[in-house]
Formats: sequence, C-alpha cells, structure tokens
Amino acid sequence: MRGAAALREYRGLVQSRNPTPGSQTSLREANRARILDALKRHGHLTQVELAGSTGLSPATVSNIVKELAASGVLNTSVTSRSGRRATEVTLARTLGLVAGLHFSARHLRVAISDISRTVVAEHHVPLALDHRHDRELDRATLLLSDMLESVDATFSELLAVGIALPAPLDIRTGMIATPGLLRGWQGVDVAEVMANRIGAQVFVDNEANLGGLAEARFGAARGTRGAAYLRIGHGVSAGLVINGAIYHGVTGKAGQIGHVTIDENGPICRCGSRGCLDTLVGAPALLELFRDDPGMQRIRDLLLRADSGDSSARRVIADAGRHIGIAAASLSNLIDPELFVVGGELAQAGEILLAPMRHALDRSALAGSDGIPDIVQGELGDRAELLGSLALAIENVGLEAELRTFAR
Amino acid sequence: MTYLPVPTVVRTAEQLLSLRGISKRFGAVHVLNAVDLDVYPGEVVAIVGDNGAGKSTLVKILAGVHPQDEGTIAFSGGITAIASPTDARDLGIATVFQDLALCDNLDVVSNLWLGRELRKGGGLDEVEMEQRSWTLLRELSARIPSVRVPVASLSGGQRQTVAIARSLIGDPSVVILDEPTAALGVAQTAEVLNLIERLRERGLGVILVSHNIADVQAVADRIVVLRLGRNNGEFRVADVTSEMIIAAITGASDNSVTRRASKDAEVVQLRRDARS
Repeated sequence: MRGAAALREYRGLVQSRNPTPGSQTSLREANRARILDALKRHGHLTQVELAGSTGLSPATVSNIVKELAASGVLNTSVTSRSGRRATEVTLARTLGLVAGLHFSARHLRVAISDISRTVVAEHHVPLALDHRHDRELDRATLLLSDMLESVDATFSELLAVGIALPAPLDIRTGMIATPGLLRGWQGVDVAEVMANRIGAQVFVDNEANLGGLAEARFGAARGTRGAAYLRIGHGVSAGLVINGAIYHGVTGKAGQIGHVTIDENGPICRCGSRGCLDTLVGAPALLELFRDDPGMQRIRDLLLRADSGDSSARRVIADAGRHIGIAAASLSNLIDPELFVVGGELAQAGEILLAPMRHALDRSALAGSDGIPDIVQGELGDRAELLGSLALAIENVGLEAELRTFAR
Repeated sequence: MTYLPVPTVVRTAEQLLSLRGISKRFGAVHVLNAVDLDVYPGEVVAIVGDNGAGKSTLVKILAGVHPQDEGTIAFSGGITAIASPTDARDLGIATVFQDLALCDNLDVVSNLWLGRELRKGGGLDEVEMEQRSWTLLRELSARIPSVRVPVASLSGGQRQTVAIARSLIGDPSVVILDEPTAALGVAQTAEVLNLIERLRERGLGVILVSHNIADVQAVADRIVVLRLGRNNGEFRVADVTSEMIIAAITGASDNSVTRRASKDAEVVQLRRDARS
C-alpha cells in the first residue's frame, strides 16, 4: 500500500512537471502533487497555510488532505494558530529514515525519505565550481540536521545515507578513482568522513551510476535488462545498469565515456589526457564558445537561448549531441544495451540534443535484428541522481539497522 | 576525425547599468577612486573586497544615499544622476540593505506593500495585496509558510526573503543585495542563494555584495574585486579559482592576477584570430 502510494506520488510529481491538458483526473493529480511538494518544502503546515502556499482553494485542500490521509499518505493532527483551531498536516512516514545527497558540479540536492521511499523533505543549493569536500560535507550535515528537525526527527533515526558524486569512485578504497576529475574531493574517504559526522552508514557512488539506477528502477529504463544512462551536464558520463545492478568494472571507472578520445590533438582534459569527449561537449567547453556574450554563463542560459530559437545555441547543442552519439555508438557496440536514457542538465534540450545523437548512433552502432538501441530522455529529470542515492541508501539499510528500529 | 569548429558568437548586449570613473571622498579619505562597474540584464555581479574597500559606498551611491563626486552613471544607455533614494527607485534600482529595514510587528503582506498599499474604496485592498504577495512569493519559490504572521516570528532566511520580495514590488530592473547571507544558517543561506538564481532567471541585473567567496562563486556570473577604493580585477566565475579572488582582494599578488587574466584574454584573442 505504502509502496503504491509512493509510486503514485513519484508519478504525480513527474506529471506536475509535464502537465497533460484537460481531464479532471490530471488536474486532481497535479493538485495532489502541489500539496505534497509544499509539505516536502516546509515539513509541516496547517491546512490554511497549505492553501496559501499552493494557491489552491481551502475547500480543495481540505478534500485532498482528507483523501490522502485516508490512504495513509498524510497525517493530520489538531493544533492552534494565532489562538484558532487548525489542522496540521505532515507527510506520513514509517519508522526509520534514509537520506540522499547529490553533489553535482554546480548543485547540491538533499532529500530525506522513509524506507518505503516516501520523500518527506527536500532541499537544494547552488555550489561553487570546484567545490571542496570539507566545506560541502559540513554544509550537507547542517542542512540534513535542519531538514530532520523540520520533520520532527533526529540523526538517530537516520539508518543510511547515499551520496552521489560527480566523479568515478574506486570501489576498493571509496576514494575518487582518477586524480584531477574532482580536485576538491581527492584522497578523501567520503563515506567514512560523513559516517563519523552523522553516525549512520554512508554509501557513495558516481552520479551517473545512481542516476542510471533510479531510471532503471522508477524511470524510463524500467523493466530493461541492460540500459546505459548518459548524464550530460558539466561533464559526460554513463551509468551502466545491467540486470538491475550497477556495473562498476573492477575499480569503479566503468562508463566514463566523457574521457573517450574524440580528437587526438584536442585540448588537454582535466583527466590528463587530450581531446576527450568532455573537452568538446562538457558545459565549460560549450559555454566557452559564447565567451563574449554576458548572457551566456550557465547551461540553463544555453537551453533558454536554444528554446527561443537562437540558431547558434541550437547548433552548439546539436553538435554536442553528434559527438556524444559517436561515443554512445562505441558503448553500444561494447555492452549491447537495450536502451540509452539521457539525463543531466543538457538533456532538457530534448530533441535538439537527442536527434543528432540518434543519427550518430545509427551511423556507427552495429544494428541487430531489431535495429539499434533507442535513445530516450530520462523520466526523473534533475532528481534522478538524488532518487538514485536514496535507493542506494535504502538497499543498504542492513539487518542491524532494522533491529535498531524495532528495539526502539 | 574531423568536425567543423563552431563559430564563436560575439554579441554586444546592452548594459543595464554602467558606472565609469566613480570617485567619492569623505574629507581626506578617498573612499572610491575611478571605479568602473557594468551590469547586464539576467546577470549576477558580485562585488567583493576587504573592509574599507568601498563596497558599501558604491552601493550607497547606487541607492541614492549620497551622490558621487566624479564619474558617470548610465542607466539603460542614458546618463543619469541619482540624487536621492526616490531617484534610484524611480529608475528601477532596488536595494536590500543588511539590516533589511522590516517592521517586526507587521505581517508579511503589510511589510511587502508598506508605503505602496493598494486601495479599494475608502480602505486597503487586503485581499488583492495578499493574493499578489502569494503570487510573488510562489514565483520566487520562497519558503514562507504563512503571509499573515508577524515578520518577527520568521527565521533569518525568511526575513531576507521578505525583504528581497519587497524590493521586487516596484518592478525594478536592478536589485542590489548587501551581504544577504551574513549571519544566516546553512539552510537559510541555501534559500537566499536559490532566490538569487530566481532573480537572475527573471532577467534582473543583480549586484551581490558579499564576504563569502564560496557563496559568491556559487551564484555569481562575474566577480568585481575592489581594493582600497580601486578596481583590482574582474573575473568570470568560470575562469577563476578562490585563490585568485582572495589574492586580488588582499593584494597579495597585487596585479599579477589581473596581468595574467589580461594575458589569457590576449591568448584567447590570438587563437580566435588564427581560427577565423
């Protein structure tokens, strides 16, 4: 029941991002998602406050809250505000919480969910380029503590934490596998450092791997036997999910297609090699092309410009798609996936990016009896990696932690 | 493998605000000495510098607190004088000072519309003001649970959010934030940083004055360093490390940083010439 509710909630959220016009049902779904969103942001709210912060009428809020409380998604309790009786609403949760953290190149996303995957609190904050482990782990710990407080929980209820990092991790040591890829986090056992801070088990993996895991469990790659998740943002990397599990390789560097050599004589890459895919299609490389344009500083600017029909922005994204398609073709020939799912910031460009990728894949990938693997946009959007890190934490909630919960 | 190099786009966008050679003296103290500053629409420009670098004075000149002694201010292309806070407001420059200047005993709606209340018939149009407040706060993805609580009961980040939202009521094109994250906790700082991103997406020019280099690097597009009342370097965030910024602030490398930056720019220009 609870799992079904959580799934419905995920779908509701996805729908609220791409509202399908028309039906009463879709409108209701969207309204439900708005209420759940508001609760995730604030922790607990009264019905009147919910009406204010969602813009829905008090009657609609009251109906939806009643319905969701009956199905066990929300808890209500009587409280008072300014001396008046009020109904306080919180997201229902089972005992035992997990947290997911996604450090991308320019962003930190944090979520807390219960072990049945109901997200009860979510936050995000922009990060400096070249962020460093000490400051960011401090910040994440404080943010987590604030968020736990907002849902009336403490660190002792946290069973496990999953962390997604924008670099491959050596699965034997838990440290960044290749020097130079994430300078501020080198030589640090992130899982151990974080575990010491918060007193829960911590599990760390590469962001593309976890994005892939989430898309394979709850997103576009559901039910596939082998899928590759291409994360295109500050850099390019792939998460390979084969038979439902992440394929790490021997040391954890599997899927780093951002460092496939595209141009022998190309620019020097941060990995130490030359002409890597990253140096052609990574965010810094794309934005460098617009150097004298003050309005072009972020991937988002590029996307907005392309969306408004700017031909050079569209061309730059399409060329990136073509280069990534060539690397994807090699990947396709090596691991033979059923599907490519594209995520990361640049994936929001949609067909401007995907069509040239398909074309390049078509030209260079070995075709089977049923053609070449399909390339689709991820369904979980910019939250894929975050949901993946939650899934990683939930999977690793061990028996020991469960016993701890029961003993309480 | 061959691929076509993508042509470099050169676009000269119009500055929203352009300061040239701004100088200001207080008696014998030369607070600002020929300072230049440009702000483009949809851009976050950070002004950083040590104590006494002239950041606050520059902000006060733009806010109309005291006029400059020398230099010109061009707003949307035309040279203007900002003689009073009213001038600044009429031009579309909104400033949020560090002390926020909120009325603690009034609720969020009253604070937002203070001095600009909407009227209907003989009284205030509370319903319309409340609805427009919610619309604005939602657009900013602000974490305010209720607009009818006194501002005193809000957290530091929420108060900052209300102050920033209030500055948007007059529909400005430039917003100046003076140390918006000073004295805020981590979650509240996150709120304010997200809010700055929203302002940027609305196409506003944002001037961010801050001591916190990490916060500045997280949200700014360009960083202007002031040192002892002079420009001491201007960096694109994409090109700069925190060490370079700190060197420029303290003067540790004096001008080698700026010299290196200009040399880099030359090399880029040479490469570009060679390409075309």
